[in-house]
Amino acid sequence: MIGVSLSRWTMSFFAAALIALLLALGLMAAGYGYPSAPVEAAPTLIVVHLVAIGWLSLLMCGALLQFVPVLVNRPLFSDSLAMPALLCLIGGFGALLLGFLWLDGQIEAVLPYFAVASLLLGLGFGLVVWNLAGTLMACRPLPLPARFVAVGLASVVLTAMLGMVFALVRGGIVDDPRLLDLAAQGIPLHAIAGLGGWLTFCAMGVSYRLFAMFMLAPELERRGTRAALHLGACALVIAVPGGIVAIWTGRSLDAVLIASAIAGLGALSLYGRDMLHLYRVRKRRAIELNTRMAVLAFASLGLAVLVAIVLAAFGVLQRHIAVVVFLAAFGWLSGLGLAKLYKIVPFMTWLECYGPVLGKKATPRVQDLVVEKRAEKWFLLYFISVWSGAGALLYGYPPAFRVAAAAMFVAVAGIGWQLLRARRLADVETGGRFPEGVRQPSLLHSFVQRT
Amino acid sequence: MTTFVDLDVRPILAAGGEPFGKILETVAALGPDEGLRLLAPFRPVPLFQALGSKGFSYEDRAMGDGDWEVFFYRTGPVEFENGAAKSVGEAEWPEPLMHLDNRDLDPPEPMVRILAATEAMQTGEVLSALLCREPIFLLPELEKRGHRWRGGFDGEGTTYRLLVRIGAVNEAAK
Repeated sequence: MIGVSLSRWTMSFFAAALIALLLALGLMAAGYGYPSAPVEAAPTLIVVHLVAIGWLSLLMCGALLQFVPVLVNRPLFSDSLAMPALLCLIGGFGALLLGFLWLDGQIEAVLPYFAVASLLLGLGFGLVVWNLAGTLMACRPLPLPARFVAVGLASVVLTAMLGMVFALVRGGIVDDPRLLDLAAQGIPLHAIAGLGGWLTFCAMGVSYRLFAMFMLAPELERRGTRAALHLGACALVIAVPGGIVAIWTGRSLDAVLIASAIAGLGALSLYGRDMLHLYRVRKRRAIELNTRMAVLAFASLGLAVLVAIVLAAFGVLQRHIAVVVFLAAFGWLSGLGLAKLYKIVPFMTWLECYGPVLGKKATPRVQDLVVEKRAEKWFLLYFISVWSGAGALLYGYPPAFRVAAAAMFVAVAGIGWQLLRARRLADVETGGRFPEGVRQPSLLHSFVQRT
Repeated sequence: MTTFVDLDVRPILAAGGEPFGKILETVAALGPDEGLRLLAPFRPVPLFQALGSKGFSYEDRAMGDGDWEVFFYRTGPVEFENGAAKSVGEAEWPEPLMHLDNRDLDPPEPMVRILAATEAMQTGEVLSALLCREPIFLLPELEKRGHRWRGGFDGEGTTYRLLVRIGAVNEAAK
């Protein structure tokens, strides 16, 4: 079949992701984890994984289950794998958090937390990758945006494998010296594979297609776009497999990471140029809030790169690496994610509710499901808080960082509330909300009428 | 997924024959999801242009001993249509009664207008629409409503032309 249907469980992934983000921001605002605790302390690990797995990865999995089919214009390989994958991910993630609490001495019961976490997270990510890779495999040769996603999927496998090694070492389940070395020195590789490979590559791939679609701009398949893909993939190969070899052969990681950073910088510059080009050549002059707010996410990515270069030039990058990671995770990935949620949730809800009666009954437009003016202030508060939080981290003021995190919490709660209203059709005029044959959509599941 | 039909022109050339006709014949018989895997004793540069104009891209690789393996696959205009539409036949797609140019509309407005138009038309009538991209969410909806469709990009890959035949699935079932 040609064409794409709604992904049934994407809304559940989104809901779980937003809860994890609010939880992480609440903890940060309460002074839990870095910068009040050391980077490697258990509370920091809890917050970091709430953001990386709970929020960003669940968000990305949910989005890819809907948009990989859009990238290749074919249905998803399997509709029934999504829910078991989500359950495994949530279960494994819960076990991981318990494991960190146990390391921290907060839990006394000795249970195989890390073994269970490794198994369930491995299984959960495995099911998502299997489903998405199966969809892509059926559509070779892949269009360029889908190739970015393919690299992202390979990266999540690497990230998960490194994470499993760390978990098994920390849980005292394996004691192979090579794996111990990897666990001791491999954290930067795990972060690069996760934030750079999995999340950034997938975000890049999806944005090439979606931004062209939303702004009525031509699809990009130019030389610079291919170069961005190849340079980015090079950066990842140098950093991750290259880094593992460096650790195992007793060489310094620094040279490997610098080489990877140079290639990565090239890839991001080309990507930035492409996105700028899409905004410039768009046929749609007035753009929606989600596309306007995405500009702030791109700006945050640029800022993260700029800050990294300046810190490196002064030789203090290592000391302040948290600032760069914070900007990349919250300004770039989370900012883009929140902005795109504000498009995806109303669009999927509109298609689910009104798609079957389009043309038969008078129906609201997608934009009637949202009130942009109301959401805009929360987005602006979010980005301003992120940039202030980065400043507070850079200058070492934990109280200011906590205030920024609290403001981010409020902003995300505000955006989340607007998304909930869109899903409940609360902002659609009462008269036109439920034409005959239309019913209230379920919050967490999308109903798909079979052909 | 593209499946490749093999054609080895080395024996034809070795026997002093001209393989061009055979190549075109094989290409003409390819399905929408099929490509051509060509084995030749030299890099067949003239073919890249000739098949490129038919919407094929290529990937080639030297096999050693001067032989080349070239994969031709479709990237240009291909007409797709839903399932059983092929059995309806060319003659049963009458001239479109309704023409829509939806190229400059913001998504999902093209989908809304096409579905509104199909509801106003009679069984057997044909609608034609121009779009700036493939209407991926519309196509399953057309099928659910029992319409047949065929569509594809023009030669430049900028305009997608869609034909919808109203209620043709029910018609065929009768």
